[in-house]
Parts: sequence; C-alpha cells; structure tokens
Amino acid sequence: MPKVLYIDFERCIGCRACVIGCEECSGHDHLSRMFVDELTPGETVATSPTPCMHCYTPLCAESCPVQAIQVMDGVVLSASHEKCIGCKNCTYACPFGIPRVDEAKKLMYKCDMCYDRTSKGRPPMCVSVCPTDTIQYVDEEVVKLKNSKPVQYQWQFGATEIETRTVIGLPDLAGHKYGYYDAEESDPYVGQT
Amino acid sequence: MKHIQNIDYAMREFDAITREGEELVATHCAFCGMQCGMNIRFKPDTKEVLGVEPRYDFPMNGGRLCPKGVSAYRQVEHEERLLYPMIRRNGKLERATWDEALDLVASKMREIQLQHGKDAFGIYSGSSMTNEKCYVMGKFARIGLGTKNIDYNGRYCMAAAATGFKQSLGMDRGSTNPWSDIKFADVLLIAGSNTAECHPLSMPYVWGARDRGAKLIVVDPRETKTALVADLHLDLRPGTDIALVNGIIHVMIRDNLVDHAFIEAHTNGYEALKETVAEFTPYHAEMITGVDQRKIEQAAHMFGKAREGMVMFARGIEQHATGSDNVSNYVNLSLLTGKIGRKGSGVATFTGQGNGQGGREHGQKADQLPGYRVITDPAARAHVAKVWGVDESEIPGPGISAYEMLKSLGQDIKGLLLICSNPLVSAPSIGDIEERMRSLDFFVCIDMFLSESAELADVVLPSTVWVEDNGTTTNIEGRVIRIKGIDRTPGESKRDWEIIGEIAKRLGRGQYFDYGSPEDIFNELREASRGGVADYYGITYDKIDRMDGVFWPCPSLEHEGTPRLFEDLKFKFPDGKAKLHGFTHTGPNEKVDKDYPFILTTGRVVYHYLSGNQTRRIEALRKLCPDPYIEIHPNTAAQLHIKNGEFLKISSRRGYITVPAKITKIIRPDSLFVPYHWGKQLGINRLTNPALDPKSKIPEFKVCAVQIEKAGEEDIKHAQSALY
Repeated sequence: MPKVLYIDFERCIGCRACVIGCEECSGHDHLSRMFVDELTPGETVATSPTPCMHCYTPLCAESCPVQAIQVMDGVVLSASHEKCIGCKNCTYACPFGIPRVDEAKKLMYKCDMCYDRTSKGRPPMCVSVCPTDTIQYVDEEVVKLKNSKPVQYQWQFGATEIETRTVIGLPDLAGHKYGYYDAEESDPYVGQT
Repeated sequence: MKHIQNIDYAMREFDAITREGEELVATHCAFCGMQCGMNIRFKPDTKEVLGVEPRYDFPMNGGRLCPKGVSAYRQVEHEERLLYPMIRRNGKLERATWDEALDLVASKMREIQLQHGKDAFGIYSGSSMTNEKCYVMGKFARIGLGTKNIDYNGRYCMAAAATGFKQSLGMDRGSTNPWSDIKFADVLLIAGSNTAECHPLSMPYVWGARDRGAKLIVVDPRETKTALVADLHLDLRPGTDIALVNGIIHVMIRDNLVDHAFIEAHTNGYEALKETVAEFTPYHAEMITGVDQRKIEQAAHMFGKAREGMVMFARGIEQHATGSDNVSNYVNLSLLTGKIGRKGSGVATFTGQGNGQGGREHGQKADQLPGYRVITDPAARAHVAKVWGVDESEIPGPGISAYEMLKSLGQDIKGLLLICSNPLVSAPSIGDIEERMRSLDFFVCIDMFLSESAELADVVLPSTVWVEDNGTTTNIEGRVIRIKGIDRTPGESKRDWEIIGEIAKRLGRGQYFDYGSPEDIFNELREASRGGVADYYGITYDKIDRMDGVFWPCPSLEHEGTPRLFEDLKFKFPDGKAKLHGFTHTGPNEKVDKDYPFILTTGRVVYHYLSGNQTRRIEALRKLCPDPYIEIHPNTAAQLHIKNGEFLKISSRRGYITVPAKITKIIRPDSLFVPYHWGKQLGINRLTNPALDPKSKIPEFKVCAVQIEKAGEEDIKHAQSALY
C-alpha cells in the first residue's frame, strides 16, 4: 500500500524542525522544501506545516515547458537538474505555492518526499524529526478512509477540483480534543460536589 | 531487544541510514535536559562533521528532534570556533601558545591566592558539560585550587526545584518518574513551562496522554502553544503561583477531593496546610491571580478527581524569590491526592540545561560534594576525601551562590575561572555584573566561542564542542546516558578536563587530575558518589550502552537502576513521610507601581538555547529568530499608540533596552514578555531583578516592574547597531 504524508496540524508547535530537517536529506542540497505558516498571527500561536501536496494531476508538471518534473511512485519529484530552465511556471501553476526556484542555479526545488529515504523504507526527514508527529508517513488508504478525525484531500480552486495524496487532518471542532479550545468562550463552571 | 524499562517510550522501528563514505556516531543533542538521541554523520578519515541522521531506536525521542537538535552539529565546523589560546595584551586578546596561557593562569592563581587568601579565586561553572567535567570542576575547586568559592549556572535554572523537592520529598531527582509515565496520566498539570517550545520532545508524551483521553491543565501567563491546546489554561498574573495553588488546594479540601488515607499514612503537616489555605477561597485567589475563580474550581476538580496525574513545572514557577516554596506548593497537589510513586503519577521539573540534572549532583554546587552529598556533613567529607586521596581538612566548606559570587567580583573574589557559561547574558541585572567582571584582577574563560563574557577575559582557552569528547550526562528523568564523541580537536583546542589537568599540574596538584580518559573520571565519580543520594556506583559505560541509559540511584553492579522513585511510598525523611508545607502569598519581590506599571516576564524561544552563545551562531536558527522582541497585548499597545514592529524602550530600575514590539493576544494586558537569549544592548537581563530566593538563591527572573515608551532616535540607532 503506498504511503503518503498526513498533516495533523493541531499538533504543530511551530518549531520548524521540519523546515531545517528537510535540509538534511541527501537529495536536498541543503535547501529546505518545507513551509510552516502562522494560522492566526497576533491572535494565537497556531501554525501549520505545508509540504508538497503531491497532486494526482500535478499542475506544476503539466505547466512545465520542458517536462522537467516527473512523477515517480505517486511522488511529484523535484525538477530534473538537466532539464529545468528556472522559468517558474511551476511556481505560478501550483495552487499551493510549493515549488521554489534557486535563483543562482536557475533550478526549481520542491518536496520529493525524501525519495532518497522513502525508497529505502525510511520515513521522510520532516516526518523523522517532527517532535509532535504533526507530520506522519502513513498508508494512503487507511488515512483517507479510516482516520480517527475528519480529513481533507480534495480541494476546490474555482472550477477546478484537485485531489492530493497528502492528507490534511481537520480540527475536531465538536470535541475540541486537541487545540483551538477557547477557554474564554466556554463555561468552565463546576459546581460543588 | 529493548530493555524493559524502555518499552513505553517513543522509539520507532527504523534503522538509521549510513551514507557511502561516511560513519555515524550515536550520541545525544547538546541542548536541553531532554538529551535526545541523534546520530552525527562524519567522514572517518578527516573527521569532518557532515550532518545529522535520526536515531530512531533511542527511547526518549525515537529520532525526533527540535530545530536546535537538527542543527546542533552546525556549530562543530563553525568559522567562529576558538582555535588557539588568547592573552589580553594592551587591551586586546591576542594569540598565545598554550604554555604561555597556562603558565599565566597558574601564576595569577597563585599570586591572587597568596595575596588575598585561597577563597579569593572563584570558579563559575556550567551545567551543559558532561558529568565527568562537572565532577572535575568541583574537585579542582576544592583540592586543585583549594577555594570554597565554586558555583554554577544551574543556580539560575534548577536550584529552586532542587530545594523544593528536598523540603517536600527529602531528596531531589528532577523527575520522580520515567518520561514514558506521562502517557499514563489521566490529568497533566503543567505550570510555568512552555513545554512545546522549551522541551519540544516532551510533546510526544503529552500528546500520548491526550490520545488516551487525559486532561491538560496549563498554568502560564501567556497563551503558549502548550496553553493553546490545554483543556484549561490558568492565565495567572506572573508571581502569584502560591495564591493560585492555595486556591486549588482550598477547593480540593472543601470538596473532599484529597486522599485522606494517603495523607495520614505518608505525610506530615496537613492540618497546618489546611489552615493556611482556608482564606484562599476561589474568589480570594482570583483577586490575587487574575484567574477566573470558576477555572480554579475546575482545575481542582479536574486534578482531584483523576486517578493518575502528574504535576510538572519549570522556570516559570521556579525563577522567583519564592521559587522553592512555589515548587513545594505544586508538589503539595500530588501529595494531597496521593498521586505519586505510580505509573502516571508523580512530579517533575523540566530540566533546562543539557546536563542540568547531573551537573547539580557531583559537586560543582557551592554547598555540595559528589553523589549529592552535603559539604558540611562530616561523613560525606570523609568519604570523598578518601576517594580523592586527601585529608578531610583539605576540603573547604560551603561557598557562595552564583549570583552572590558575581556580586563579589573585584571585592572578596579577585580572580575568576569561567567555564561553560555566559553570565553576561544569563545573570540578572547584567549592567551591574559587567562592571563587576571588569573590576577583576584576573579573569580566565574556557569556551569554544567568544561569548559576551569571554570578550572581557584576560585569558581565553579554546575548548571542544560536545561531540568532540566522550562522557555521560543525566537527562531530565534521571537517566544517565553516554555522549559519544568524534576524535577531533580543531586547531589547538583541548577538552575541558584536559585543560583543567594542565592547570592543576602547574599548581603542583597534577597528581589528583591525571586522567587518561573520561571513563577514568567516571569510574572515580562512581566511587565518590557511592552510598550518596545520587548513587552512580552501579552505572558503567557498558551498562549504559546495554540499557540505553541507567536511572540513578544504581547502588551496585547487579542493580538495573531506578526509573520510578517512591514506589514504596517511603520518602527521604527519617520517618519516611513526605512534608506538606503551607505557604501564604507574599507576591513578587518587586511590585508594579505608577512609575513602573507593567510586569515583565522573560523566557526562551524554541530556536535558542540559554545564552545563545551556540544557537545565535547557527545560521538556520538565527534566521528563524534573529533578534529579541517585546510581546505586548493589543489593548496595551492601543492605549500607548504603539504599532506592530515599532521600537519600544523598556526600562526597569536597573536598566533598559530597546526592542521592536510584537503585538499579540497571547500575553496578558498587564504583562510583557521578552526572550532572554541576547546580550549587550539587547539583553533583557539588564532589567531583571536579582532578588534571590533565600532558600535556593535562584534569582527572580520571572517578574519585575517595568515601564515602556516609544523609543527615541538615539535608542533605536543603538539597538539597530546590534540587531542581526
């Protein structure tokens, strides 16, 4: 069963170990491909990591004029060193804004799910280092169909629907099991027993 | 096969990847008491350090690392490493040979001690070193130099927890439980710890408990990430912990949520405590703490009704003039409900420094000898004197605490050896301390980078970084682990214990410090600690390897260590009963007034370690948090017409700094927060209050009174010249 990235961002502590850890994978030339965003700056410290979403129909690859972006075993790879011309079409095409371009080398780079590690049966570097298991490397079918909390892997961009291999766990707003629990709005009163 | 003590931990079943032409050394992180396992990648021929590889099979962290851990190795090949000794000549530090530098150090030591007495030379040590080095520092002070004046930076860190545990439980080990126990708690009460940022690798255990349905109560003036995900966030006014806990205890007693059978059988002092908290009704507690009384009621019920529960805390409650009592009051919560000595029940402090635990056990503390022995205890002195091969009378008595030592510089203490610390960032009131350091007759500093403090030294001796030496540390749980090094000493740098050996030789005391390896030192430490509270006698390097670490006490070679303390509910007092102490609220040493109307509290960020001497030099970390800032609530900012990013001048009675404003709702409107990892004109410790807890001598870093104003042009320029 293929494995995918699962992001349970309620667990994210915003430490960016994934961002720095990404630099440590052998295929990554010390360039991080990971993003961590503040969700409500100034209000709370909530954050979320964003790796490549690994689309089923990757617009980055489709937009590439020189077919430098390959998909291997469902993983959208970084651009080929030989072919990439650094035109940034992929950056503009990607609805999630994932591919970055090394201006000096004129070369696109993005998350390849640590192909060097996953091909050897090890989890990607972000998953390996994440202190809170916010980023997990799990069976695609299990996480999409049987996850304990609601998930999203289909995204609407105007008329276009995009399905991704990367799966995002959604906050449990009913039970407030983790995080985003607003004590101000709740009634914590406990009567005398 | 994993040892049975490790089965509930967070390790994962993957092997590390060894890349072609490389080797791995399985060691631990340089930063924080978690001491996460990691592999360092290096070239076997040149010993060049290349990177980090997850150590999936180490129990504590299972390969996971925080950003500091991922990038810790990047200090090794750093261009700012000190590579040769330096002597100050005509006001400037200039390159010197080891012989010149060491001869000068030894002659100055002799000269100062001859002229002003043995105690006129002080040693200010650190707790980020291995047990072996910490042990050598304590021994060197007592029988190398013969000075009573040695203390260490753990005084700013773990001293209150240690004293609090001792006055409540009769002994101090940072955690009564192995970390995997956290997962089995039904309630976690975490006070004054931004666990997510300061001990990120504790989060798998906190989440582990949450996954099993545990409730999380967080006590913190700020809505940190830890507080954000709590069931209950008690957002108290800084400096009011005693009143808050008294309120919780009041409700627990009122609503019969205490364990009377446990209290009767295993504690003393209940009636007096009950009397003390009688006046702390939830309403009264709310008036002092600012925490909604309904939340105080809920916390008491949540904690009191749970079957298993852990109380955990950190510098947020400890760095106060009432720090030890704050600790004991939180420990009261465990004792009153009988939540101790079981899987999922106990108390713990989050150890801040890499070896904050081991560093306070083996004799570099002013009043202590190895094995957590008390230096005034005749039996302890006799035992250690025998191990050291000296007469008992040669061991001096207790010295003065870290901050008191800094205050004595240039007066009673004329010469100073500073190692593994950077007090010009980490001490309170650093403006004053800088003047004291400048008034020394002689100042020698051992470090691997030129810290703010080292810049003032007369002699700087280059040491190695953590992964260039072998030894042991003792982690947050009391687990003794092995730091394994790569055999390299860049430039002319030397290992700390070798430098101390060289100095001792020049003082004619070389025979006591003639070690061939860290393991030699450890074997002596084992003997010195034998029979003490922190008994390491049964711990060997081999056993550590075999068991992935051994928990002290471990009194014999057959013994497999003690992961969980007090399982027999015998506390370390003569009658075996723990002590319930009652405390009344006095509040912080310095209270707000009309001139200084805001409360300043300080702390860490996830990207930096302590004084930042290492982490501020690592580009990846520096880029993520280059400079300090002041967190200010939007309501406060609006009243003062302050915009986000605008420079504010923040002043206390002791000094001021100018930093940009970060407007955020995570801070209380009456409080301000500034991280403390910077020095010089960006050092918030210019402002902090050096009022000491009389019991533990920890300074009150966490509360002082300040005022803020928009910064003028000159102040902004001055600050900007130091910003990254």
